[in-house]
Amino acid sequence: MEPPESTAAEKVILQWDSTASEDARERMIFTGDRQEIERYLDAVDELQKAMSSASLSDSSSTTTSALQIAMARLEDEFRNILLSHTSPVEDEWLTESTQLEFASQEFELKEEIAESSSDKQFEHQESNSSSCYKTTSSIREVDLIPSDAVYDLRCIAERMIAAGYLRECIQVYASVRKSAVDASLKKLNVEKLSIGDIQRLEWETLETKIRRWIRAAKICVRVLFASERRLCEEIFEGLGNSADDACFMETIKSPAIQLFNFAEAISISRRSPEKLFKILDLHDALSDLMPDIESVFESKSSESIRVQAVEILSRLAEAARGILSEFENAVLREPSKVPVPGGTIHPLTRYVMNYISLISDYKQTLIELIVSKPSTGSRYSSDPNVPDMDLSEFEGQTSTLALHLIWIIAILQFNLDGKSKHYKDASLAHLFMMNNVHYIVQKIKGSAELREMIGDDYLRKLTGKFRLAATNYQRSTWVRVLHCLRDEGLHVSGSFSSGVSKSALRERFKAFNAMFEEVHRTQATWLIPDTQLREELRISISEKVIPAYRSFLGRFRSHIESGRHPENYIKYSVEDLENAVLDFFEGYPVSQHLRRRSDILIETRYDMLMADLISRGQTSVLTVQSSLRLFPNASTL
Amino acid sequence: MPATDNQGSFLNRISIRRNQFAPIETCNDQEQENLELFQRHVADRFADLLYIHSTTTTAAVTNSNSNDHSSAAAAATTTDSPSATHETHGPPPPPQLLSISWFRNLLDTYLCCEAEFKAVLVSGRDPSQFSRPPLDRLIPDFLERSIKALDICNAVTHGVDLVQHWQKLAQIALMALRQTPLGEGQVRRAGKALNTLLTSMVFDDKENANNNFHGRWTERTRSFGRRVGGGGGNNKDRTAGNFRSLSWSVAKSWSASKQIQNMSANLAAPRGGESTGLALPVYIMNTIVVFVMWALVAAIPCQERNGLATHFQVPRNLNWAQPIIGLQEKIGEDWKKKEKKGTAGLLEELQRMEKVAHSLVEFADTFVFPMEEEKEAELAALVAELAEICKKMEEGLGPLQQQVREVFHRIVRSRAEIIDVLDQITKMSAPVPY
Repeated sequence: MEPPESTAAEKVILQWDSTASEDARERMIFTGDRQEIERYLDAVDELQKAMSSASLSDSSSTTTSALQIAMARLEDEFRNILLSHTSPVEDEWLTESTQLEFASQEFELKEEIAESSSDKQFEHQESNSSSCYKTTSSIREVDLIPSDAVYDLRCIAERMIAAGYLRECIQVYASVRKSAVDASLKKLNVEKLSIGDIQRLEWETLETKIRRWIRAAKICVRVLFASERRLCEEIFEGLGNSADDACFMETIKSPAIQLFNFAEAISISRRSPEKLFKILDLHDALSDLMPDIESVFESKSSESIRVQAVEILSRLAEAARGILSEFENAVLREPSKVPVPGGTIHPLTRYVMNYISLISDYKQTLIELIVSKPSTGSRYSSDPNVPDMDLSEFEGQTSTLALHLIWIIAILQFNLDGKSKHYKDASLAHLFMMNNVHYIVQKIKGSAELREMIGDDYLRKLTGKFRLAATNYQRSTWVRVLHCLRDEGLHVSGSFSSGVSKSALRERFKAFNAMFEEVHRTQATWLIPDTQLREELRISISEKVIPAYRSFLGRFRSHIESGRHPENYIKYSVEDLENAVLDFFEGYPVSQHLRRRSDILIETRYDMLMADLISRGQTSVLTVQSSLRLFPNASTL
Repeated sequence: MPATDNQGSFLNRISIRRNQFAPIETCNDQEQENLELFQRHVADRFADLLYIHSTTTTAAVTNSNSNDHSSAAAAATTTDSPSATHETHGPPPPPQLLSISWFRNLLDTYLCCEAEFKAVLVSGRDPSQFSRPPLDRLIPDFLERSIKALDICNAVTHGVDLVQHWQKLAQIALMALRQTPLGEGQVRRAGKALNTLLTSMVFDDKENANNNFHGRWTERTRSFGRRVGGGGGNNKDRTAGNFRSLSWSVAKSWSASKQIQNMSANLAAPRGGESTGLALPVYIMNTIVVFVMWALVAAIPCQERNGLATHFQVPRNLNWAQPIIGLQEKIGEDWKKKEKKGTAGLLEELQRMEKVAHSLVEFADTFVFPMEEEKEAELAALVAELAEICKKMEEGLGPLQQQVREVFHRIVRSRAEIIDVLDQITKMSAPVPY
């Protein structure tokens, strides 16, 4: 019955039938002699040739059965080759790439700074090892399996597919590769966290995980998945039925979903302002990866992965937008009512301005994401809780993002205005506004990005605003004090030579002393944290008070000194007042009362103060002298 | 609410739901009307799903009672045949309970109810109501539950992947068994694929948090290997890469069963004054979410499902819930049977696939060439049924998976919308964390 010409081939096959002999079960063909491999493959080819040349009914049952034995054998060989090249190779290249990307403790410490540069390193790294290939600028494919083994795998795949064993081939391939990919994900610290787990974690913990995820995702997409894709192509390309694609998807689908699950969970977590920047990091990383994701998952069958990545990206964008508007609302509604002691910078101002500076660091992304204009007062025109502001004057010249920043600053001021009303002392309220708006201006000037976005027009408005606050402060404190030094009401009508009412004059001096002492006592505890601003305001005060006092003293001193106890009325020299002004806005109570000429102790303290002043802000003293005045209008009190 | 008579079958109870609903004092007329409508729609939609079941019960009974696979296959093919529907002019035959098509209807039902729920809850409502009882307590709870539902969706998506994997193994067997003449090699090939399939089913169903189970698995494969007659080789390394499992997709400790249990914990029907207000739609939606997730977990392989049947109960005295209760009872019974038998999941196609695979493996074990005529007919019937199951899976699983994803998206979106409303309230007072 058996056609004699196929017996030789059949013999080879039967010799390796693992169901028949112990030896055939224990040994593998492809781990052995090359000649034996060739002999076996040739035998399979011969059987297949015999099968195809004969019609179905013709082909002998022994040939068919030998071919089936061969296929079972080849499946085992195929699996065995795959299995023997899973961990070691993957170990080698994974550590290779991880050395760059993360790893050492030292790196962990420096990562904040090093992160961006190391990313670049990674992207621009030259493939110095022979097993690195670069198809696009960022994809770096490595050899997961050495080329001779790949060749063997392809030889087997070819024959299995030709004999109609495609599904087995895919199944074996995917099962083995999948566990290899799974092991790699584990190495890359891609954790198996459920969405529920992630919602429960502290944000700080998640920040670390996000950083780690970004690095892992880059390696996964650009190295791991890309290399898997290439391996599939090397083994299965051109063998029909888009086997390469099927193998790739079977291998990678679940790991890819697992990887993206983390980003997805973050994208749907509850929004709060502190999350913005890490969400933007995640968004940027994913957005950077998109071209690579599209190229690695370009086939129709991997569409779902592409779609998921796009969905996550748009959800992250939505989250960023949501957080920004949430932030705006939080700034507007921030409810603390307890006035900051000394009228210094409110923590809200610092927080908001630091936040805005960070926003400007992310401006490239945010300019793309923030497309709708802020919902300003116009929409809520009837709402007294929202500032009434028309942003249209800025619209033409700047981005929507910048409009949001201007709007945030406006609502910050609006909120601060509200807070300033809680100061009992109107002067302190003005000082508080001056300090805070000045701080806002300084922050904007301190960042080139921010300054460019806010623009000179709005900056000028802000500068005007704190100058006005300074003027208002001076008016509300000093008009009253200077009022004591006016001439009106001192001259007694009818007399011509010494027509000055002594009692009125004495009252004036007493009133002035009391007021100045009171102002000195309270306002020394007030605080202007910015040295230059402090200097300038003091100078501005001196410029008003000192000349007025000097001239008042010059005109009326004799009237007092001619009377009894002149020291009760002329308590202070001009120098005393000049020195006293130096105590203003330092933020601590003066230890003693206003200094007098005779008080040596205080003289010493004055020297110390001057020394301190010079050491702290020599430049500011100089700038003051060079008349770069912040308050040109202050003299028009 | 009027006391309802809950005696008798759930079909009787359904008729009660068509009676008037209790007046709702705390809402205005329009709202009250919407609430009533919502309840009625929920009852109607789930009654449709139940009706599907009740009309096909007889078929299912014949199917499971008789071991005659050819008749089962034949029955399935007739119901599926398009000509049958054309002749009757009626609506297409309702799908079998727990079949892929049934689940697609279930998810559609979910999406409809969800949309209506959101309209009832959010549309035109003063946000401040969310900060007052009972919503201030119920809404966070609802959101928490929806997060859990998202994880179930992901687990189910993954489970469907696994079912698709099994389907591919079944297709190998199909291809092998359709060869003519059928030789020993092809039978062995089919047996091997089906053994891998059955091993993987057992593996994933039995999998739980304890780690000792790898040993159990190797033991099982070894015994399967012997049954196959060494076709797969009994080298452990060679078979190790042969199967796929759910285990890696979530942490080892994650349990679908616990997840359902957590979802249904503190799910209490509103009482007293609350039972007529906004607490009611929230409760209804919660119940629907839990029911849908529970049914999915029961049907599709998911990690760790011990004690699933007892983890979800609905109070029996609620009108709108009667069809859900009916479904829950039926599926719960099936689950208890499943726990005894140890099947991979209640998905109708999956149960049948498992049974056919067992029969085919038995057939392969006793296969001698040439086949007797009777054997040949038996085989042909089995192959036809397996082919029919594979076809249903091929056509249905992809869309089902997409629908699960759609449910996922919907939950995410609704959650975001509700959070937006909540934020509008909290914004008024929330401090900035500087």
